[in-house]
Amino acid sequence: MNAILENFDKIFNVSLVYATFRSATPIIFAALCAAITQQANILNIGTEGIMLVGAFTAVTVSYFSGSWFLGIVAAMIAGAIISMIMAVGHIRYNSEICAIGMGINMLALAITKFLVKAIFNSTGSFSSPDIKAIPRVNLAFLDSIPVLGELFNDWCVTEWFAIILIIFLQFLFYKTVWGLRLRAVGQFPEAAKTAGIRVNSVKYQAMLISGLIGGLAGAHLSLGYSTQFIENMTNNRGFMGVAAMYFGGANPVFTALGCLLFGFSDSIGARLQAYGIPSQFVLMMPYIVTVAVLSISMVAKLSAGRKRESALHSGN
Amino acid sequence: MNQTVNSIRRILLTMVLALGIGALLILAIGENPVDAYVALFKGAFDGKLRLGTTLAGFTPLLLTSIAFAIAAKAGAFNVGVEGEVFLGGITAAYIGINWTFLPRPMLYLACFAGAMAVAAAWAFIPAALRAYYGVNEVCTTILMNTVALYITSYLVSGPMSAGTANAQSLPVTVTLYQFMKPSSANVGIFIAIAVVVLVILMLNKTSWGYKIRTVGFNPSHADYVGINSKRVFISAMMLSGMLGGIAGCIEVLGVHGYFLNNFATGLGSNGMLASLIVKNNMAFTPFMAFFLSVLKSGAMGMQQATGVPKALVDTITAVFIIIATMETAFQFAKKRKAQKKGKEETA
Repeated sequence: MNAILENFDKIFNVSLVYATFRSATPIIFAALCAAITQQANILNIGTEGIMLVGAFTAVTVSYFSGSWFLGIVAAMIAGAIISMIMAVGHIRYNSEICAIGMGINMLALAITKFLVKAIFNSTGSFSSPDIKAIPRVNLAFLDSIPVLGELFNDWCVTEWFAIILIIFLQFLFYKTVWGLRLRAVGQFPEAAKTAGIRVNSVKYQAMLISGLIGGLAGAHLSLGYSTQFIENMTNNRGFMGVAAMYFGGANPVFTALGCLLFGFSDSIGARLQAYGIPSQFVLMMPYIVTVAVLSISMVAKLSAGRKRESALHSGN
Repeated sequence: MNQTVNSIRRILLTMVLALGIGALLILAIGENPVDAYVALFKGAFDGKLRLGTTLAGFTPLLLTSIAFAIAAKAGAFNVGVEGEVFLGGITAAYIGINWTFLPRPMLYLACFAGAMAVAAAWAFIPAALRAYYGVNEVCTTILMNTVALYITSYLVSGPMSAGTANAQSLPVTVTLYQFMKPSSANVGIFIAIAVVVLVILMLNKTSWGYKIRTVGFNPSHADYVGINSKRVFISAMMLSGMLGGIAGCIEVLGVHGYFLNNFATGLGSNGMLASLIVKNNMAFTPFMAFFLSVLKSGAMGMQQATGVPKALVDTITAVFIIIATMETAFQFAKKRKAQKKGKEETA
């Protein structure tokens, strides 16, 4: 404990800000993937699987084509295909969403394992210098500025894109006709139907976009966050994303803030490990934080809801 | 009765379809599907060792699948069985190593009771969060699985470590008799079967079981007729946790004889699969658990005998589950049309 206090300034410094954002980005993408379907009242438990398939596809295509961009595009298409399987199962054939979502997660885990063995003949992981990573944005003028340079320089392209995507989705959900329709379908499908909205079509569109974002999440994980594919490399990030989505009530900005919290606990943990904290505690920290934050936010929402109700009654 | 026949037919049809897709995958990588499936079957049943291994693998799956099913009967989606297996296992190991002051029969009881208590307490957390605050239990249980894994991993590589290169605990002083040496099939399988029969009887023949089914079917109705739906929900989740704990205890006392780091990975999720495929039907769940354990234990034999990676088996089970969840998938066009017509006529 003393060691931690003595090295306080080494743990909490400027680079922690980027470290937090860096570990949060994959979760932010995952959470946005879950948020868009949640707006249509579909709980996308399959986020984890979509991401994993995306990660694998990105590495494979980047390795064979030598282009990170093609890797991302392929990953997004693969994510969309997986999410469409789920959409058809849920919307057309009436599957329980949790059940088919978990099925999708299992399928993603198994098929990536199978393909790593079948294509690259390796078990566990695949890495190679031929995998082209997503480039980092180096802004030359920032190099000379001390704090800003450390904060904003050398971000991965997809990390910048995450911020654009958050703003875009916020706009899409709350300022466009499509967003209004999406939310109407989620909140009151009968009313939406009466208003002439094709409910199932909107749901399919939401799932399709969710798949594209989920694939991108995977591509960022395997080509931006790291440059390799590891079995089960998503490591529950998809579920953390779903938890963050609950925390933020499917609002992109609040959801992303929730992700930053998990990213923060992750990167703090990584630094504490150097000072004698057992690795298992460090590794479990983001999970505990996620469960705790999720519970607290739900309790807060519930009590706020009750207060509103009682205010309504006393008002009468 | 007709419904039972129908669901059996559905399950068989789904099974054939999943194996068919698996065969296509095998063809795609240039192997012979018939050879692969024969090797799979041989790998699961050929000889005492392999048959015993299949049975040993079946034991925990039987318990975890019923654990998932019982929680599902109360309307919960308990993905947390795996964490409960881990914690039950570590508790059984701790008691089995340290409480040697107890006479042997008592020590067995203490191991099982301890495992059940700790696992039930662990299941209580997400259950209460869901029942009282509406926190989605799928999320919490999945994340808590990882926490449970790291807790046990810390314990066996730190305080409870045997000091070996592998992270594992000291051997326990009581073990379950292994009756098919050299395989690790042990008398735990009879304990598991007895427990499962008890749970099924309880669900179908007691008022508590009736309450669980009512809450799962319609919690508001349950509250209306005077059943405390929250309390029943939590108790069902805790029972589910206990079953996971028993599975962990049997694994530690029967299969390994000590707590092995990571030993329960996949046990919970495979049990969940078995239960989901048959839509949490308690009577079919054990058979599905058996089928999955045959696939699992035959997979290694298949990988050795042919060039087919054993991950293929997981792919088949995943496809299996995805098709099985689609409720209206096998109502063929004709039938659906007839249904539609019927509806229009009644309207």
